[in-house]
Amino acid sequence: MYQQDDTVEVVRLLSVRKAYGKNGAQVLALDNVTAGFARGTFTAVMGPSGSGKSTLLHCAAGLDKPTSGTVTLGGTDLSAMREIELTKLRRDRIGFVFQAFNLLPALDVEQNVTLPLRLAGRRADPAFVRRVIEQVGLGKRRHHRPAELSGGQQQRVAIARALVTHPEVIFADEPTGALDTRSAQEVLSLLREAKNASRQTIVMVTHDPVAASYADRVLFLADGRVVDELRQPNPEEVARRMTALVARTEQRSPEGPWLSELTR
Amino acid sequence: MLALVLRTLRYRTGGFIATLVSVFVGTAVMLACGGLMETGVRTVIPPQRLAAAPIVVAGNQSYDLPTVGHGEDAYHETATLSERVRLGEGLANTISGVPGVAHVVPDVSFHADVLADPGGSSVPGTQAGHSWVSAELAPYRLTEGVAPIREGEVVLDSATAGRIGAHAGSKADIAVHGGVRSYQVTGVADAGRRMAGDAVFFSPAEAGGLRPAAGQVDAFGVQLAPGADVTAVSAQIAAAVRDQHAVTLTGDARGSAEFARAAGDGELLIILAAVFGGLAAQVAMFVVASTLTLSVQQRRREVAMLRAIGATPRQLSRMITGESMIIGALGTALAIFPGMLLGDWLFGRLTGFGVIQPVLKFEQGFYPVVAAAIVGLGSAWGAAFVAARYAGRTRPVEAMRETAIPTRWLTPTRLWLGVSSLIGAVALAYLTITVVDGPLAASTAGPAVTLVATAVALFAPGLTKLLAGLLRRPIHALGGLPGYLASLNARARWMPMAGAVTPIMLATGLAIFMLYFQTTEVAVAEKQYSDSLLADAVVTSATGDLPPDLVAKVQQAPGVGGATAFVTSKGYNEKPSDPTQDEDGVDLTGVTADGIAQAWGSIVADGKLDALHGNTIALPADLAQRLGAGVGAKIVMRLGDGSDATLDVVATLRTTAASASALMPAETLAPHTAAGAADRILVMAKPGTGEADLLAALRGQVGGADGVQVAGREALTKAFVAEVQANAWVNYLIVGLLLVYAAISMVNTLVMATADRRREFGLQRLIGSTRGQVMRMMAVEAGIVAAIGVFLGTLVAASMLVPFSAAVSDSPVPSGPLWIYLVILGLAVVLTVVATCAPTWFTLRTRPSPSTLAPE
Repeated sequence: MYQQDDTVEVVRLLSVRKAYGKNGAQVLALDNVTAGFARGTFTAVMGPSGSGKSTLLHCAAGLDKPTSGTVTLGGTDLSAMREIELTKLRRDRIGFVFQAFNLLPALDVEQNVTLPLRLAGRRADPAFVRRVIEQVGLGKRRHHRPAELSGGQQQRVAIARALVTHPEVIFADEPTGALDTRSAQEVLSLLREAKNASRQTIVMVTHDPVAASYADRVLFLADGRVVDELRQPNPEEVARRMTALVARTEQRSPEGPWLSELTR
Repeated sequence: MLALVLRTLRYRTGGFIATLVSVFVGTAVMLACGGLMETGVRTVIPPQRLAAAPIVVAGNQSYDLPTVGHGEDAYHETATLSERVRLGEGLANTISGVPGVAHVVPDVSFHADVLADPGGSSVPGTQAGHSWVSAELAPYRLTEGVAPIREGEVVLDSATAGRIGAHAGSKADIAVHGGVRSYQVTGVADAGRRMAGDAVFFSPAEAGGLRPAAGQVDAFGVQLAPGADVTAVSAQIAAAVRDQHAVTLTGDARGSAEFARAAGDGELLIILAAVFGGLAAQVAMFVVASTLTLSVQQRRREVAMLRAIGATPRQLSRMITGESMIIGALGTALAIFPGMLLGDWLFGRLTGFGVIQPVLKFEQGFYPVVAAAIVGLGSAWGAAFVAARYAGRTRPVEAMRETAIPTRWLTPTRLWLGVSSLIGAVALAYLTITVVDGPLAASTAGPAVTLVATAVALFAPGLTKLLAGLLRRPIHALGGLPGYLASLNARARWMPMAGAVTPIMLATGLAIFMLYFQTTEVAVAEKQYSDSLLADAVVTSATGDLPPDLVAKVQQAPGVGGATAFVTSKGYNEKPSDPTQDEDGVDLTGVTADGIAQAWGSIVADGKLDALHGNTIALPADLAQRLGAGVGAKIVMRLGDGSDATLDVVATLRTTAASASALMPAETLAPHTAAGAADRILVMAKPGTGEADLLAALRGQVGGADGVQVAGREALTKAFVAEVQANAWVNYLIVGLLLVYAAISMVNTLVMATADRRREFGLQRLIGSTRGQVMRMMAVEAGIVAAIGVFLGTLVAASMLVPFSAAVSDSPVPSGPLWIYLVILGLAVVLTVVATCAPTWFTLRTRPSPSTLAPE
């Protein structure tokens, strides 16, 4: 819808609604969201707290089921799948990078990277695994444990793990949220590189305008709806639109949902 | 996948220690109980005094009860006769005639009490006199002096001689049937090993006169000609004595001829082992499951991440099962040797308390190890099942959330399991109160309590939330800043808190229940005994028999309302037969009719007690009814030594809960007992006579007689309580073992739960809390946890104690000193606080730095 050029949309959300809670106190996290993510693109999803950006990611990645609407991945309709099929789909066709707790502390870098292959019962191609690890700059640390790595290095391991299965899409949830500026830059560059070098599709949730500027385009969410879109973003423009967005939301509900939560 | 499991185990050693320790201790306790069980099942009693005779011929102690039912439904039980079945002397000739037999040695034991001996044999009742002829059966060899040849000469065994300082040439006073006599010690003999019973050897001529039954012997020791084959000869002897009520024994079976009563100890061991082994298995299941679940809960983020990147619930389950089984196997393997030692130690304590005779051979072979391994691995497997269900439910989205305290707990499975545990507990409680009694009561009451505890554990999150909510305000008000923080924690972290509460609840619940269960049982037994005690004083004799005129003499003492000889035995109804009769048979009490006719008149339902002379019996009314035999009927009883007696029913008796014994004339019953004579006189006071006056009068009347002693009602009750208490000690011992186990698991869980909060403590330190403030906060939190755990534990215990107590003692309040409860409370609180504060202090040792906040 937004992406009308001739590239194929790998992930597609059509009229997705997601409601939490029982009938009485229902919260609408996603309100009729329609969005597409084309092959080889890097999309950042932004929005104020509670705007539904994490829910969007969960639904798109098959971690959570929409209340209504459909999600397709490479033509497969996720909404019709059972949990066990979704699990296998995540394992084989999706890569994940989380904000933290990405790695098993007991395993070294190489073992963490090959974990999805093992779970799928596939043998890893050692040469390819080595290349991926080298690609993220950890060639000399293949046998280090996560505890022996810095935060940025741990996130790079997570990226390598996401790349190793040749996924159709990589979902990243605040991948730089816990990192210092330099490490964050390295991680974001890696993601962009992955997109450029192997036409990897990437969807990243972030609240950092600088991080978002590494993407090809930015989707802005507010109150569970896609309210804005920016192509070829730069940090200043992203920040400006975010400020406007936050101001608009706060105007409508002066306290903001999280503040009322705290003082209750 | 296995490689992944192994790496995780190696990396997270700390987190698995708790589970490993639980499996280890559980398996060791199980192995010890298995050893007791095997010892009981095998009941191997190696011969001691008969060890040198390869074949022993003894009376057949087993008795087939009359057949019940008809046709295909017909069956009969087999009982062990309570008194020694003796053999005729003449049988020696039959046995000697068997080819391969060199010679046959008769063995007789009779009452012989060395008066100056302060100690006594390790098995009560096995200090006995024998003929010197049978010394070769052990064999006893003279270490000094010569054999006894004439009347008045004895040889003492080295143990007795050592205790009283006797040597060849000394004199010793010995109480034998007929009186106390002074003997010349002609020598000291030694068997070259420790014997369970003490032996006094008399000259063959004198021994013949001292034995309880003339012309009869207890057993024959058979010595073989050189080159004769034991198996072949014993088969031939068995054939030769087939119709003589005799059994031919070889190997360890020979011991049963020596220690007839030890066979009953085997059954006691089986019951003990089953009750406590079962309980240990339940506790093991419980604590292993809770520690493993806690360890999986602590890795929630990891589990969620694995789910997100594509691990199926089945894969997670396999991983957790793998972890658990490796821990289980390791814990089991480590427990084998210590478990063997523990079993040995436990058996030593049981014999030390005199509950089990030390003549039983402790056996702990292959089967206990298998049983313990099944429990060790089974509990690990069960725990993995529970933990894997938890892991499988973990939603992958949780990997991306920052706050990671789960709040959903009441799943349908949990509800279902909890409710069915409660139903099971109610059923077992009902069974305990209505059907089971004696030592078996613990076998249903124990599991009932663990079931209640299981239900409470399943509902622990909700209960903890509720109770923590109630405690929050007072603690907030009284606790200052640490109280404020702790109450906030209690509000937010009730789910992990429930994990810490559970083992405290289990340990205190089990402790309170088991200990007060015992004290209540002892109190009830004591009350029943003193209620049913018909005598006001007892006259006992060290000679094992009573001078013939003593009963009459006692009756003439002032203040005596009645006096009766007293001897107890056990018999079986032959004809008519009682369809409900089991191997316990009918309790028989031998009495003197004249002495009780008046004093016990109140217990007579029909007939007259003074008719108890010759072959007569007075039956409990309910038994008489079952037999259809009222006053005037003739019944056939099988007496304790296997002989038949046709008896006239002369009276029926009102039965009470405590006493349901049939009465027979002492002179009729006594010859059919092992001792052959009554050794005590029960004395009933005339109304209005005080105990002190009665005792003084009795002492004046009989004080001069040989070895005669007089004791009052209080002394009798005290002796009875001491006996009951000895049995109770065994239970305390094993309960103690289980409680140590539960306490270890409790400490384990608390340490594990506290150590997991390293990041939280680090954060507090960074924002300016002093070490002391964090410690105080954790102490208050530990107090909250302990309070909730102890409260729930008390509820769990009370849920069974109150109905049990109401059923046995008409009071819902269990008997027993309050201090036991207070000690349990104190220990629980101290352990909780220490197990929480020690790891807190440990993690606080290092200076706070942002790195402590980094994810693991």
